[in-house]
Amino acid sequence: MKTEDLIAQLAQDVAPVRRLPSPVALMARWLLVTLPVLAAVVLMMGPRADIAGLLMQPRFMLAEGLAAATTVISAYAAFCAGRPDEPDWKLFMPVAAFLVWLAELGRQCFVLSVQTNGAALVLHADWLCVPAISITALIPAAAMVWLLRRSTSFRPAHACLCGTLAAAAAAEAVLPLFHAEDTMMMVLVWQMGSVALFTMLGALAVRLGLNAFA
Amino acid sequence: MNNALIDWHLAAYPVALPTTRGRMAEEDSNWRIWMAAAQAGDQRAYAALLTEALPWLRRRARARWPGSSAADIEDMVQETLLALHQSRHLYDPARPVQPFLFGILKLRGADIRRRRHRHAGRETALEDMPADANELMTHGTQEHDAEQAGLRKALASLGERDRQVLGLLKIRQVSLKEATAETGMSIAALKVASFRAVQRLKQALKGGADED
Repeated sequence: MKTEDLIAQLAQDVAPVRRLPSPVALMARWLLVTLPVLAAVVLMMGPRADIAGLLMQPRFMLAEGLAAATTVISAYAAFCAGRPDEPDWKLFMPVAAFLVWLAELGRQCFVLSVQTNGAALVLHADWLCVPAISITALIPAAAMVWLLRRSTSFRPAHACLCGTLAAAAAAEAVLPLFHAEDTMMMVLVWQMGSVALFTMLGALAVRLGLNAFA
Repeated sequence: MNNALIDWHLAAYPVALPTTRGRMAEEDSNWRIWMAAAQAGDQRAYAALLTEALPWLRRRARARWPGSSAADIEDMVQETLLALHQSRHLYDPARPVQPFLFGILKLRGADIRRRRHRHAGRETALEDMPADANELMTHGTQEHDAEQAGLRKALASLGERDRQVLGLLKIRQVSLKEATAETGMSIAALKVASFRAVQRLKQALKGGADED
């Protein structure tokens, strides 16, 4: 078919469309759904007894801040991925945020292991992390699928990865509020491992979900 | 396009030209207005936008993929137009159109190139092959070989006497007198046997052709 004929045909078929809100607006909607869900999960599970003391610790608050930053940046990147005029570097911001967060936890693990003569490096099985993060992240991930459903034409794989990382990071941000890990190594391996696992599996599932919606 | 609609779009989304996007700065201010009107279902504005954008898209595609064939460039442009049509709701009228269009071109163009690259190992482009390439030719002996195989098969299906007569008179082409000495048949009997053997050979060849 000649391109000029295609243009004539497309112009004939044009129908009014409802504009998609901007990535920032979509992210605000997602946070509007996610934050009450996270608060409800913490209340349902019951906050840790030492929560007040924890919130006063700069080390803990820094980790929480980086988790929150990864959540927000990943959600924003997920909503940018489907826009053709958004630059590629925005899609790699979540990777940078996640690596900074991981590096900070690694640093804390190293410092604590030196201070405690290696006690912070003790590692044993903790199978609660995987289901806790998965269940907590389920509704944020579903909200993400719902909000991404109209922008699946471009870079869907990036959108899925960023979207699930946002949901997993949000879940990981609230997990320490109701579930205490014995050592920093446990946090690094089980909690961050669960985030990585959820992101990989979630990206696959979200992609299937988006295809079903699209 | 409706003038009131244009005025409204200009008021709602003031056009800030030149843009800060370097090479995108050549954008016609009408593009944003046309695109916003297309989102509202304006056929004329949409046709104007696509017509204006077409040479620009071709130029950008050629500049980005200078090694691509003209057909591939046109495929990329058409895919871009189709993707734009399906993604009109993603455009924000507060932003310039060209980065939006170029973003689609980049993504769809990369998709096409990936697809081509994936299939390239399994395909041979005929346009790149000389017309007298050996792979496209029927070999000189191919038809002759096929005919000979058919003839052998037909001969094998004949009786012993028919094969002997045909071998002597038609293949070796010995004289009737010599043939009578070899077969012990009279000349008249040889002539009749030869005629019947040829008839049966014709029948066998015809049968073979029918089977094919």
